[in-house]
Amino acid sequence: MSLQSENGTPMLQMRGITKRFPGVLASDNVDFDVRAGEVHTLLGENGAGKSTLMKILYGLYRQDEGEILLHGKRVDLTSPAHAIAHGIGMIHQHFMLVPTLTVAENVSLGLQSTRGIFSDLKTVSKRIIELSRAFGLHVHPDEHVWQLSVGERQRVEIIKALYRDASILILDEPTAVLTPSEVDDIFLIFRKLADDGRGLVFISHKLKEVLDLSDRITVLRHGRVTGYTTPAQSDRHDLAQLMVGRAVKLAPDKEDVESGDPLLTIEDLYVEGDRGRQAVQGLSLEVKSGEILGIAGISGNGQRELAEAIAGLRRPRSGKIVVAGHDTTLSGPRQIREMGLSYVPEERMKDGAVGEFDVKENMILLNHSKTPFCKNGFLNFKAIKSYSEKLVKEYAVKTPDIDTMTKNLSGGNIQKLIMARELAAKPKVLLASQPTRGVDIGAAEYIHERISQERQRGTATVVISEDLDEVMALSDRIAVMFDGKVMGIVDQKDATRESIGLMMTGEQQQSAA
Amino acid sequence: MKKFSLSLSAVMLTLLLLCPSLLPASGKPLRVAIIAPSAQNDLAFTQSIVDGIKAIQKDREIDLAITDGTFVVEDAAAAIRDYAKKGYDLVIAHGSQYGGSLKEIAPDFPDIAFAWGTAADTFGLPNVSSYEAASDEGGYVMGVMAAAMSKKGGVGVVGPIEVGDAKLYVDGFVQGAKAQNSKIRAKVNYIGSFSDVALAAEAARAHIAAGADVLTGTAQMVVGAIGAARSKRVAWFGTQANQTELAPEIVVASQVYKWEVILKQILADMDNGVKGGKMYDINLANNGIVIKFNDAYKLAPGVKEAGMKAIAGIKDGSIKTGHK
Amino acid sequence: MSDSFAVMIVVATIASGIRLATPFLLASLGEALGQRSGVLNLGVDGVMLLGAFGAYYTVLQTSNPYYGLLVGISIGLLIGLFYGFITLNLRAEQGVSGIGIYLFGLGMSDLFFQKFVGTPRPILPFMPLDIPVLSGLPVVGEMLFQHSIIVYIAFGLVPLMSFVLHRTTYGLNIRAIGENPEAADSLGVSVMATRYSAIIIGNGLAGLAGAALAIELGIFQQNLTNAMGFIAIALVYFGAWSPKGVMIGSLVFGMVQSIVLQCKTFGVIPRSASDLAAMAPAVITILALVIVAKRFKQPSALTKPYVRGG
Repeated sequence: MSLQSENGTPMLQMRGITKRFPGVLASDNVDFDVRAGEVHTLLGENGAGKSTLMKILYGLYRQDEGEILLHGKRVDLTSPAHAIAHGIGMIHQHFMLVPTLTVAENVSLGLQSTRGIFSDLKTVSKRIIELSRAFGLHVHPDEHVWQLSVGERQRVEIIKALYRDASILILDEPTAVLTPSEVDDIFLIFRKLADDGRGLVFISHKLKEVLDLSDRITVLRHGRVTGYTTPAQSDRHDLAQLMVGRAVKLAPDKEDVESGDPLLTIEDLYVEGDRGRQAVQGLSLEVKSGEILGIAGISGNGQRELAEAIAGLRRPRSGKIVVAGHDTTLSGPRQIREMGLSYVPEERMKDGAVGEFDVKENMILLNHSKTPFCKNGFLNFKAIKSYSEKLVKEYAVKTPDIDTMTKNLSGGNIQKLIMARELAAKPKVLLASQPTRGVDIGAAEYIHERISQERQRGTATVVISEDLDEVMALSDRIAVMFDGKVMGIVDQKDATRESIGLMMTGEQQQSAA
Repeated sequence: MKKFSLSLSAVMLTLLLLCPSLLPASGKPLRVAIIAPSAQNDLAFTQSIVDGIKAIQKDREIDLAITDGTFVVEDAAAAIRDYAKKGYDLVIAHGSQYGGSLKEIAPDFPDIAFAWGTAADTFGLPNVSSYEAASDEGGYVMGVMAAAMSKKGGVGVVGPIEVGDAKLYVDGFVQGAKAQNSKIRAKVNYIGSFSDVALAAEAARAHIAAGADVLTGTAQMVVGAIGAARSKRVAWFGTQANQTELAPEIVVASQVYKWEVILKQILADMDNGVKGGKMYDINLANNGIVIKFNDAYKLAPGVKEAGMKAIAGIKDGSIKTGHK
Repeated sequence: MSDSFAVMIVVATIASGIRLATPFLLASLGEALGQRSGVLNLGVDGVMLLGAFGAYYTVLQTSNPYYGLLVGISIGLLIGLFYGFITLNLRAEQGVSGIGIYLFGLGMSDLFFQKFVGTPRPILPFMPLDIPVLSGLPVVGEMLFQHSIIVYIAFGLVPLMSFVLHRTTYGLNIRAIGENPEAADSLGVSVMATRYSAIIIGNGLAGLAGAALAIELGIFQQNLTNAMGFIAIALVYFGAWSPKGVMIGSLVFGMVQSIVLQCKTFGVIPRSASDLAAMAPAVITILALVIVAKRFKQPSALTKPYVRGG
């Protein structure tokens, strides 16, 4: 198959694509095209319609209106198999791999075998090795997928598409789970694939990466195209404005605050993970009043266990945790809260709020048994109502009313609700885990502003996040976790993406902090 | 009836208790219900009681209801209670496994007569009678003939679980075999199930491999054993019903139950106002148990004669079998 | 007891264990196939019963056991089609649907039997098919090579199914779909068609298992299978979803049954402990299940209906 198209004609044109779901216009008259040799980015927030558009292209959905042209010819893509046959490949955000199968088996899935009904893994393996060499993918055909790291799995996904002679590659948030150095590596591979004559569609909401990789950028909001641009014409603020529809502050204003006494001290902490593994191994930290400590790292390196141990949800095996002068190592969650800790958990719908409760019930979840909300064992709805309404207003939680079921709110508004509840307790120590994951930029901006205000108030804050930009923007100091240990702690002004990225992969910090 | 609420049923029940005149007067057809574990045409245990009632139906008008296949005891209990609520005159729980349920249900319906078997226990209740077959007597006769015809000197028994009718029959069979030939190898295998046909078949094969050339067995799973015996051409003695049809080429004789003998007694007692408290049994002497020979089976000389001698001995009391 | 007699008893015990294992093996191979594709079928026993009755009735009418086998399989295939419709198209909850199939089979097989046959009449069972040469071997010959054809079919299916699962594209599709149907769908493998085929074949094997049982025993009666189908499901877990494992499980179950039976025949197990001994196969299977199955993971997509984009 020839990868080059005739001059001038894009490989792919999507014209006037409209897709309706019950109650939602997911794609509204969108035009989009890809030329050979370029990376064309689709930028937008969650729910902006990027995935819908690509699922239409990949044959998973059918458009209600509009047409798709490949190499100038109109096509009707009815299934993934159909799309694959037309040279369209997709690297899914959630890997489409079968962990119990080998790499070769995963790649050969759905392919016509050269030996009829019998599978022919030898031929497949040979070709995988060739492709792997040609593009520097370092993939071994005989390994089982469950043995592979996240980065390796992604390269298997790429091989899968290349094996099928994909000339158009859809990359759906491909960097979401990668470390900064893995991102650098994969970008080199993407560029190589484009230079080889393929057309790449890069789907992302990470502004920096979009500017690094793209040739052209199309921005979507609420299913509509809000702008076409290029990295040369725009910066991060321009892109954010196109995404959100107004000017956005990407980093909160931070005033100088004199940091005070240490309010959270952790000494030589060991915590076991769910499968008996040592998830946290000899970790020590100190956070002072009026200070934000960011904890960076790829998830799964003990951050969750650390947060749960601090909050009293997981009993440490050894070590010591001191919150506002009280040893809380073996205390339960309620006692620790009474010592002055507020906790915004990573899984907001699992640990942070009860989806089946309405807004006001979630607002008083912590103190429903205390006056004025409870008198003689009965709930005082008048007090609950006025309190909840006040918080909803103060924290700009967008909800029809306080009787709305919490699960019906957007992720950003649920997170604001949780922040409101937690900060209303006027904490001495604030522990926020992945505070803006899956949250739209507007809500994230607000949450960052609030955390920054807590710092001004004198709270000792710990922000655990996978999002390096977030950690760099918020923190006074940055600790990097790897394999249950702190690889190093650096001052925000001395931190670079490169140095932190290295530590995230287990490289010890060069000079002691 | 099921549509009524529990309380409503209780009210009706009280009414029935207070006004015996509401009960069907004699002269009307008697209403009899049978609850039995296997199919009513199983050529075995269940069919025997159904045939018994049907024999009586020739002389007397009986409104008969049958719930068969209730090998789940809870289902049987529900059926027993249901018939009692519907006011059947006699409810027959035909299975020793139903005793526990009957013990609970019968006191709630003092005006209904219950009978169950095979067993010898009325729980001291005035409206429960029990019945059993002296299957040891037929077993003894079969054992005598089996030992007389075995050439290899080995006979085998396939049993379900060592209780009730099965135990009586098996013990009688072994006793008879030993009486005929004190050196006989009489092996008994209780397979632990009333329903595992495949296992019963393998039990029969195991007996054959161990040197048995005459087999018998009891309970509804023995159809498997009969099939195995048939494929190996090994003689078979049947019980509970005439099993000749199942394998005409190997069945020598069957012990057949004539429950009508005791059912007649029970009905007669009911006519006299006795609803229970008595134990009944069928045996060779009262012709409730008969031995049916398969005429097509060519028996060696002397075998049938030995059997007939044993029957006579049991009837005149010169031979004592295990029962009573 | 002479040595040759002892050898004979051992041979008989092993041959008996193999015969007892056969229906379990057929049924659990079928169940394993369905589960590998991500569909649980708790109705195996009901399918077996209907297959058993169909086969029994066919042989009764035609006196040809092979027609019986064909009818048994066909009934299984049809139920498989129906089960596919309710679990794949209607996406009914699989546990409950399977129990429904079981109860349907239990009731209908008995109803048909009462209606069309009534009093049990024997049918001609399979005659043992001696494998030339091999069946003449001392000891091993009688143990392994003097069985009815269905035993060879059942054990022959084990390597065949292993081969299909691991060496064909169809097998690859099944393994992928049971673990991650989204992945297979994204590469153009039809989840629906593959699952349908696995369920249909799996139920066909259950029907065959029932047919084998009825024809081998030469009889049908109510609840002939005596819950064998449920044991077969347990054996799938025991065998960690592999044909070989399922075969080992079935053999262990059959052998324990036959050994217990033999011990009872010779009075090695006292009659007072006889009922306890009858539980041995179930107990040993459960113990093995607890020890073995803990180390294996069931197909990730088991019991989960697949909806594209859902």
